[in-house]
Amino acid sequence: MKRSNEPIAWGLFGAGGMLLALIGPGLVLATGFLLPFAEPAAAFHAVDALVAHPLGKVLLLAFIALPLYHTVHRLHHGLQELHAPLPHGLVALVCYGSATVLTIASASWLLVR
Amino acid sequence: MSDSIAIHVNRYRPGVDEAPTEQRYDVPMDGDLSVLEALNYIKDEIDPTLAYRWSCRMAICGSCGVMVDGEPRLGCKTFLREFADRGELHVRALDNFPVERDLIADLEGFMDHLAAVKPWMMHDSERAPAEGEYRQTPAELERFQQFSQCINCGLCYAACPQFGRDDSFLGPAALTLALRYNLDSRDDGSAGRMAALNADEGVWRCTFVGYCSEVCPKDVDPAQAVNRGKVASTINYGLNLLRLARGKHDA
Amino acid sequence: MTRKPYRAPQRWNWWLKNPAYRRYLLREATALPLFVYALVLVSGLYRYTQGQLAFTRWLEALQAPGWLVFHAVAVAACVLHAVTWIELVPKLLVVPGISGRSIKRGHQVAALIGSALVDAAALASWPLAGGAS
Repeated sequence: MKRSNEPIAWGLFGAGGMLLALIGPGLVLATGFLLPFAEPAAAFHAVDALVAHPLGKVLLLAFIALPLYHTVHRLHHGLQELHAPLPHGLVALVCYGSATVLTIASASWLLVR
Repeated sequence: MSDSIAIHVNRYRPGVDEAPTEQRYDVPMDGDLSVLEALNYIKDEIDPTLAYRWSCRMAICGSCGVMVDGEPRLGCKTFLREFADRGELHVRALDNFPVERDLIADLEGFMDHLAAVKPWMMHDSERAPAEGEYRQTPAELERFQQFSQCINCGLCYAACPQFGRDDSFLGPAALTLALRYNLDSRDDGSAGRMAALNADEGVWRCTFVGYCSEVCPKDVDPAQAVNRGKVASTINYGLNLLRLARGKHDA
Repeated sequence: MTRKPYRAPQRWNWWLKNPAYRRYLLREATALPLFVYALVLVSGLYRYTQGQLAFTRWLEALQAPGWLVFHAVAVAACVLHAVTWIELVPKLLVVPGISGRSIKRGHQVAALIGSALVDAAALASWPLAGGAS
């Protein structure tokens, strides 16, 4: 029996799931209902302030990356469970691949600031 | 309560039937009767050809597992009065296993999975009988006792959709049994069981549906055991990356 | 006596057959709106890097009724996720001396505080448009 590499995906899935459970509803409320109706300049400067701080960068990256890895893990397994007629490896590649690409992109945007 | 209840039972005769079909039996209704007792009544009084497994009739042997109205149940622990209002119930062999005949599921694969986790005490060194017995505190017993209550009835496998999709998955009972031994203070064999847990067919096929624990007649909570196994497997994975825990299945 | 076991392969709609399975699929389905939400965050970060004007356009776009409905669905999905997740935490986090019920309670309290803190931080960070400036 070959050792599975699933622990990596599961670890990220678990971290993302815990984050979403502990702050998710509040976060979605904040960005979905409070942010769009904020005074735009103030909102922009608030993000500025957050990104200026290295801890702020880390937090922002975590709030993006961890939910990404959490959701793609569920989507990956969900498609398998629904018997989606797609090659198994392809679904995994698209799911974890897109999460990784978006995470790297976000990290690069944050680091340039 | 009406004086009779209709029990629709899946019949399957290998070599005669292409697929299972339902046969209806009307059984005298009694508030105390279990599904197993109703099957015994059917076999004794109506149709001696009906095939099914049973033994202790008190939820300890694990023989009489069947699907009752789509749920994995022990026949001896399921009572007709639960279906009195409906006036009927449907009984078929446990899901996710090949059906041998009528209500008899082929559990050989399940037995093989149990064996795959090395479900026996392993010691680093042997003790001579003169050295006395292995001693264990109540607290040490408490760590694994719940997981030792499994009666191998197979209901959790009938419940598990991952096992239903692919029966190479070791499954709830086998993975719980592995944890039972790993948590037992008298056992030194955890390392030897990790290969089975670490495989894709080990803990990693589980997606925590949790239905296995809902149907377990002995409150073993296999879902908990399997997912604690995921934690152990993840730690083992990390240690292996750092070259601190290598098994025979690692390069 | 020849054996001819009957094997029924799992159908794609297996999850429709049992309430327990439907509940499970609903829980897993929360990943769909939450994935889209994560994409929204990524797009917001990108617009922010494009400058204040681009970011303002992004904020205005999120005011559309379609996005408000989406975010309402996303909040509901996140709540369902949180409730079912915290239910399962005691199964993985087994600590000698601390009951499963306490672990669950602790996480529920932490979740309420966590979400409240995020919203408080948001409200403190920017005044709502149209409010006193």
